[in-house]
Amino acid sequence: MPLVELYDIRKTYRVGDQEIAALDGVTLSIEAGEFLAIIGPSGSGKSTLMHLLGCLDTPTSGRLVIDGVDISRASNDALSAMRNSKIGFVFQSFNLLPKFDVLRNVELPMVYAGVAAKVRRERAMEAIERVGLMNRLHNTPLQLSGGQCQRVAIARAIVNNPKIVFADEPTGNLDSHTGEAILTLFRELAASGRTIVIVTHDNTIAARLPRRIEMRDGRIRLGVEAQVSNTAPLAPIAKEGA
Amino acid sequence: MNFWFGLLIGLKEIGAHKFRSFLTMLGIILGVASLLAMFALTEGIAQGMRERLAASGGVERVEVTYKDPSEEMQDLAFLSPGRTLADVNALRKGAPLVDLVSPQMDMVNVAISRSNKTLRLNVSGVCPEFLDIGKFELEAGRMICQADLDNVSRVVVIGAGVADELWPDNPEYIPLGEVIRINGIPYRIVGMFGFAESDYSKRKREAGISAAQEERRMRRGGKKKVKATKYDPYWQKNHAVVIPISALFFDFRTAANADASANRKIDRLSLRISDLSLFEETLYQVRSVLTRTHRGIDDFGFETREEWFDSIESSVRATRLSGSFIAGISLLVGGIGITNIMLASITERIREIGVRRAIGARQRDIFTQIVVESGVIGFIGGLLGLAAATGMIQLLILISPTENAPIITFPAVMISFGFAVGIGVLSGLYPAWKASTLDPIEALRYG
Repeated sequence: MPLVELYDIRKTYRVGDQEIAALDGVTLSIEAGEFLAIIGPSGSGKSTLMHLLGCLDTPTSGRLVIDGVDISRASNDALSAMRNSKIGFVFQSFNLLPKFDVLRNVELPMVYAGVAAKVRRERAMEAIERVGLMNRLHNTPLQLSGGQCQRVAIARAIVNNPKIVFADEPTGNLDSHTGEAILTLFRELAASGRTIVIVTHDNTIAARLPRRIEMRDGRIRLGVEAQVSNTAPLAPIAKEGA
Repeated sequence: MNFWFGLLIGLKEIGAHKFRSFLTMLGIILGVASLLAMFALTEGIAQGMRERLAASGGVERVEVTYKDPSEEMQDLAFLSPGRTLADVNALRKGAPLVDLVSPQMDMVNVAISRSNKTLRLNVSGVCPEFLDIGKFELEAGRMICQADLDNVSRVVVIGAGVADELWPDNPEYIPLGEVIRINGIPYRIVGMFGFAESDYSKRKREAGISAAQEERRMRRGGKKKVKATKYDPYWQKNHAVVIPISALFFDFRTAANADASANRKIDRLSLRISDLSLFEETLYQVRSVLTRTHRGIDDFGFETREEWFDSIESSVRATRLSGSFIAGISLLVGGIGITNIMLASITERIREIGVRRAIGARQRDIFTQIVVESGVIGFIGGLLGLAAATGMIQLLILISPTENAPIITFPAVMISFGFAVGIGVLSGLYPAWKASTLDPIEALRYG
């Protein structure tokens, strides 16, 4: 059974008396352990798709099942719980809380999960170690570089051990060198078995991922999905990305 | 979400905008301060009035007064002997609900003299019960006793103020055994009452300002004229001169008016009720006894302190109500201030709220966070308000010292503080609701 299953998902917005279909019948499934890119120009519906996959929104019609939970009609609290325990987010603009230091930022999802303070600290440290920021524990985001901020965000995304991590243009605010390092980190995470979905409009990034889904006008563009097996070796890593 | 975490966030927010938070709290601070100050002032006034009431005998004291008989009895009024010692005996025997009966004969403006000093004071002829009914305390010597009454002894018990004025050079002197002249007749001092004063003047005296100093200052024409009128129960107590009622009768009522028939009427008749819960029953009993001794003429009435007591309580209640109303408006304004700032603060943090929602905060987590934050503002504002209130009260005392020092009571503190926290929480509800119903996607996109 796939980890994520979408069947004929539609999402329409009303603007005045006009109905705009952001998603117009999307059917898709994502297996556990996949590392894939969703690409497409702006307005293609990729952000809407990611919001639905990330349980930030519910579809107008269609069926959306994530890890066995039908979220098409889930309650607001159930969506929160899904986001908290099964989904990790990495944003283009990092979206860290500026008043909290690195440790507290990473602890935050566990606070909402009701994890005890001691366990919280331990797990946060593990995640921070994973992204290589142990020497920045008590710095606030304002004292960190963009790349470091994104690492904190990744640590925060994986700290609750989610089923799937969504990254929305994770390298969009970074220079190419730092962006490459962040991609490498994602690659390492994917290699260790995590399901990762990167939303981007940058074809050079997408081209290196095992699977690509191209969106256009609210639909998946058929025939361009690169069919690469999960077990296939990862695309070569650019040298400067170490 | 963890409550303590919410609290921490609230404190952090307040710490990050100290001045803004202080301005926000100011409304609450002033509201709480005025609420508590008002409570303290009214409590002080009430306490002063209660003290006066207690000093003059308390609620359990009832005066039997003379009143004009009703119209249909006018023609028969001469049949009644009026209030006499016979009433006293009848009441002692026939009204068991009455605890103490104290008759009193008064002479006004009598010359009290010792060597070359003369005072003009009122002199009362009394029975031993006078001590307890009037809530006097003996500082030295003894009270007039039954033997004095029987033997018509020329003994006198004086208030501490009288001693001070007769022996002005020696304020500590207790003139037991000395002889003073009352309208020229020598009486020997056998006892002295303790100095009676309100708690306020007691505190003031202990702080080094004596009543005598105060009085001297006033005589010099000091501006602050509040003290020692003859209607002040403390002044009256301190200037009491009491002799056996029999001595007063034989020395001054018969001798002075030798040609007229001796006036056996007593001027005051005070009772003490043993059980306040049987107040009405006691008065009924007294009425029936006195109706008999007065031969059916209703030429007496009762003067109770209940009305006095009620008027104290009701005036305190009225002051408190209007004061609370004004303080309440101030608190309300403070609350609106908090709401306003919280709304501004969540607008500033829409993105943060979006992030929190995206990583799994439920609506109620966001709601709690905002309410806790505004509650913390109310809490701190309340604490500062209590501090401000104590300062304000000190200032009030400095500016206008009165007899009735404000009293801060524990319930008043709790009520004022509770209001502050309550207003804090209440004013956070709307911003919290607004923040928690933000669409996470919109919030993440904001700014």
